[in-house]
Amino acid sequence: MLAKFLDTVRQRITRPLQYYQDICVRCGACVDACHFYAVSGNPAHIPAYRMMLVKKLLQQGGNGRKGLLGWYRETGIASERMVSELRQALWECTGCRRCSVFCPFDLDTALLVNMGRYALGQEGMGMEMVAEIGNAEVSKGEIIDALKEFYVDQIRELEGRIREEWGVPDLRIPVDEPARVLYVPVVGEHAIIPLAKIFHAAKESWSLSMFTATNHSFFVGDIEKAKQAAHWIVQEARRLGAQVIAYAECGHATRTLLNFWDHWFGDEIAGIQRVSVVQLVASYLQEGRIRVREGAFDVPMTYHDPCNLGRNAGIFEEPRMLIRAVATDFRELSPNRELNWCCGGGGGMIAEPDMFEVRMKAGQPKAEQIKRTGARWVVTTCENCKTQLADLSERYGLGVEVKGAVDLIADALVV
Amino acid sequence: MATLAFLFYYVTPYIAVAVFFGGLAYRVYRWWQKRPAPAHFSLFPRPQSRLGRLIDALVDMFTLKGLLRVNPLLWVGGFIMHLGLLFVLVGHVRAFTDFYFLWKLLNWGKEQQHTFSAVAGTIAGTLFTIPLFYLLARRWSGAVKWLSVPEDFFVLFLLIGIALTGFHMRLFRTVEVEELHRFFAGLASFRWQPVPESAGPAFIWHFALVQLLMVYFPFGKLSHIIGSVLSKMVARS
Repeated sequence: MLAKFLDTVRQRITRPLQYYQDICVRCGACVDACHFYAVSGNPAHIPAYRMMLVKKLLQQGGNGRKGLLGWYRETGIASERMVSELRQALWECTGCRRCSVFCPFDLDTALLVNMGRYALGQEGMGMEMVAEIGNAEVSKGEIIDALKEFYVDQIRELEGRIREEWGVPDLRIPVDEPARVLYVPVVGEHAIIPLAKIFHAAKESWSLSMFTATNHSFFVGDIEKAKQAAHWIVQEARRLGAQVIAYAECGHATRTLLNFWDHWFGDEIAGIQRVSVVQLVASYLQEGRIRVREGAFDVPMTYHDPCNLGRNAGIFEEPRMLIRAVATDFRELSPNRELNWCCGGGGGMIAEPDMFEVRMKAGQPKAEQIKRTGARWVVTTCENCKTQLADLSERYGLGVEVKGAVDLIADALVV
Repeated sequence: MATLAFLFYYVTPYIAVAVFFGGLAYRVYRWWQKRPAPAHFSLFPRPQSRLGRLIDALVDMFTLKGLLRVNPLLWVGGFIMHLGLLFVLVGHVRAFTDFYFLWKLLNWGKEQQHTFSAVAGTIAGTLFTIPLFYLLARRWSGAVKWLSVPEDFFVLFLLIGIALTGFHMRLFRTVEVEELHRFFAGLASFRWQPVPESAGPAFIWHFALVQLLMVYFPFGKLSHIIGSVLSKMVARS
């Protein structure tokens, strides 16, 4: 039982994962951190328990033998329950790392969960849909030349529509052209339209990437594939001579871009600045390259810090700066910033239809938080959060509209 | 019984010290055999400079400021216990040598030295012991009961045992520090000296439990004495 899982875990245990397991004192500070545990009361959702489960399996050796000190390590978990608990512990986690903020040792449960997911996948207990999308992102690079013509056609059509609706006949959406900024969107025109307007207003030299920022292999812990998928973007940026790679409002992709790419690509990306598009637009505003109508929106609005942009990548102030530039009634969630509750839809769950009920339940603390502010608009900067928050609004009758920070700026541009 | 006491007085102390330091070194060596962290796993906000991040990790380690913000009650339990332990350990310097410099500076005689040690030692011991009982009670409460394994109870009972035997010597006996000095100097120089009679019957229990703690220390969760600063640096990498 779980032999492949354990083999994979043994191979993939890195230095921090080893001492995380060894030093966790099970103090229970993380109990209050997890939104899954807050709504379910299921011990498998306690961050320290997730770690205990994997540790216990490793010590038992997977063959049921307990060894010399088995009686002493016994945690009282029935082993038939263990597989289902393991599945819950590793898949019903958004990897938001709120528990790491609560932990007195800053232990990173999400790191273990990420690795454990890959190992569960080897055992045939993975999230198939998410893994498949991840594979598609990897293989997309091999057929990109065949896709290009179709993609450019679609973009031209979109370009025409924006020109007409916005009344700016010289607006362009360059694709595969040498440029200073390579903008990498997420799937859907909503990620392209506002930026096309902002780049036009800022007179930026930019090009739209033919790839998407999203990296589903990362969600299932397959770091090799995650690297391959991201490498297409590195190659594109180098081919176009880009000095800046700007990622769309997308949480996990922004985190990998800012925190992992140094390790993944080393010298290959030397000299290429990597930013979230939120940071880029904030810099335009600061430098006076774009102007917006101050107080353009008097709707009460709040900002949801996506875990991956906030505590995992350190982008706290730029989105608030964008919102304050155009809003008259901005209300903070409580708690916010690095202590913000996760929306409950991260970690790839959005892409897995089976997980819908799980994430609706996990989003309850978020829904209550939003309700308390009385805001009508919820602004956020992560595609995953946007989908989840819209679903939560419907489920819990919040009646809020979900917007991106760059959407606000695009709608209030003075051209 | 006499044989057992003899072993704990003159033989196992060497084993305990060797296992303690050797075990910790082995633990760190085992960690270093694993592949290092494959990326930055930072938690934000964090200081910009490398030095700033190291200082932040150390300040957090010695004050647990992060825990204070999210769980003040557990901070009282965790932080005060460690603080009391630190004071107690500083006080135990008197078992091996003495604060000669301090006594000279304050111009204190034997009587004053003893009164000061009694008061400070009792306060430090109390700071250490009361939180231990809180942490023990917590093991049965709410969600923490799911997280409690035999190891957790073992460590808590061991520490409480050490604290209570220590209190016995502090409150019911007047220990002659010269006797202790002679005994430990004898152990260190392999010229064994008689056991400190003034410490009373609790001494052998206290001494043996501490040795047990030292032997266990590197192999369980108490290795967080080293691991916590490493993991704090990973979270600020």
